[in-house]
Amino acid sequence: MNNSRTLNIALAFMAVIWVSPFAWLLSTAVDPIATGQLRFPKELGFSNFAQALTGESLLQLWNSLFIAGGTATLTLIVASGSAYALSRLKIPGRNAFLWSLVLLRMLPPTGILVPIYFAAQSVGLLNNVGIIVALTVLNLPFAMLLLKNFFDTVPVELEEAAHVEGASLATILRRVVLPISKAGLAVVWFFTFTSAWNEFLFPLLFSRTEDAFPMSMGLYSAFGRNGSIQYGFLAAFSIIYATPAVAVYFLLRRNMNTGFAGVGVKG
Amino acid sequence: MQKSGKSWVSPWLSGSVPVLIVAAIPALIFVGVLLYFTGWALMFSFTNLELYGRKATEWSFVGLDNYERLFTRRGFLESLWTTLNFTFFSAIIGQSILGFTLAAVLRNRYGGVRSVLEVSLMLGWLLPDIVAAFLWSATTSKTGLVNQLIVIPLGMEPVNFLNDYALPVVILANIWKGTAWSYLLYSAALDNVSKEVVEAAKVDGANAWQRTRRVILPIIKPHIGTNLLFITIWTFTYFPLIYALTGGGPGSKTEVLSIFLYKQSFGIGKLGYGSAISVAMLVIVGVMSLFYLRLLKEPE
Repeated sequence: MNNSRTLNIALAFMAVIWVSPFAWLLSTAVDPIATGQLRFPKELGFSNFAQALTGESLLQLWNSLFIAGGTATLTLIVASGSAYALSRLKIPGRNAFLWSLVLLRMLPPTGILVPIYFAAQSVGLLNNVGIIVALTVLNLPFAMLLLKNFFDTVPVELEEAAHVEGASLATILRRVVLPISKAGLAVVWFFTFTSAWNEFLFPLLFSRTEDAFPMSMGLYSAFGRNGSIQYGFLAAFSIIYATPAVAVYFLLRRNMNTGFAGVGVKG
Repeated sequence: MQKSGKSWVSPWLSGSVPVLIVAAIPALIFVGVLLYFTGWALMFSFTNLELYGRKATEWSFVGLDNYERLFTRRGFLESLWTTLNFTFFSAIIGQSILGFTLAAVLRNRYGGVRSVLEVSLMLGWLLPDIVAAFLWSATTSKTGLVNQLIVIPLGMEPVNFLNDYALPVVILANIWKGTAWSYLLYSAALDNVSKEVVEAAKVDGANAWQRTRRVILPIIKPHIGTNLLFITIWTFTYFPLIYALTGGGPGSKTEVLSIFLYKQSFGIGKLGYGSAISVAMLVIVGVMSLFYLRLLKEPE
């Protein structure tokens, strides 16, 4: 049919538009003498990747890992304690409380940027640790809500049975609750990790010295500079920087959907 | 506590309530900090607090001066207009309509084009903001992809897009980056529309456009509302992609509110004024959310 042919062309056209930046990124990254033009590399080489994994840019990778890993771990620890308590203690209004926190979190983070900066400055936390604490504060409401929904799905009967058998609270948590909610804990950890890994605003504000730059700041300051841009290096750097975020999504896709479905049902 | 003890905690945990409360304390502190900061932003907006100099320590309350400044000085209203343009074209026109169209068109279609489109939509969405900014900065530069593939072959002079068409580039970049979300949400919504209903309309002689408008759209209306609520709020307050691409420039052509706020607070150091801007943003976002939530409730 003529109609569907036009449609096919339109779709193919869209696909080309959407894909071409990625095609450019890949071909530039494996081209040791890239100039920023789109072309098939004359010879393939991984020197750009090697360069992106040494020196200053390697340090930025470590900084990103430290910030994202620290934020995810701190958020998970702080959130799981309260989420379990909120799940098991039937305090009136706890759902309303959690939802208002999540709504508060949906408001622009720039809104509380000034106080956060001021507080961090006055206690001298203007560095990666400061970023971890600030991001934990921001990630906590959503993490608590997700985790509470996961803990809600753990059957209380199992815990009661273990209690009757004489197990202590610590044992029950370790042997019953945590194993069952492992998937939920992993989702929250990875989810927080990715959001902290991608974070740009707080490093922009908090990182005062170049050796504290995470990858987002490293990439930004490299292509933002005027003058000759090392396209090959930056393309390889971008791919390394993007990989964890993309990988986490595809690894957790199924779990994430269950998690969000849980949130949706409770709301 | 004793009287209702059984109803609000499972019996086996009743001995461990203190432990549970202790476990919840850190979270309560963090949440308290979050609430405290929000309140603090509100308080700062009535002061002349600055980042550097004397007013960094000896600030005082100045009443509604900062709010008056929003409307009397150049900057805020222009920036609000830029933000509304950015949000309207990139989120509502771009992401939502394009996302819906793609979801509807690709629904019963399988094969290469669909996979390529889906994967690249997802990759764009998952990419860190700064990588997307780098990609768009490189592709729209004078020697970049767009000039190389389109402008120069057509025999025209290469264009520095980020300089000459900054706002359209930023809008396109955000459509490119964010359409996946709307696409996913609408695909899920369309999966819930029963085939029988659509088939029945087809038998009754409705064409594709009528089926969409009269049958499918009313059914997925709640999803449309949810989607618009989310993407409007995100886009309205979005910062990294625009800031990294243009820094708000050239001039103040792409200076959306989040960038304006950032520059006033940390560039010039006017923290009091910056807080007033953020309070104004909170109010606008709040009003928009209420509007969408009403829209969602209406059909009942």
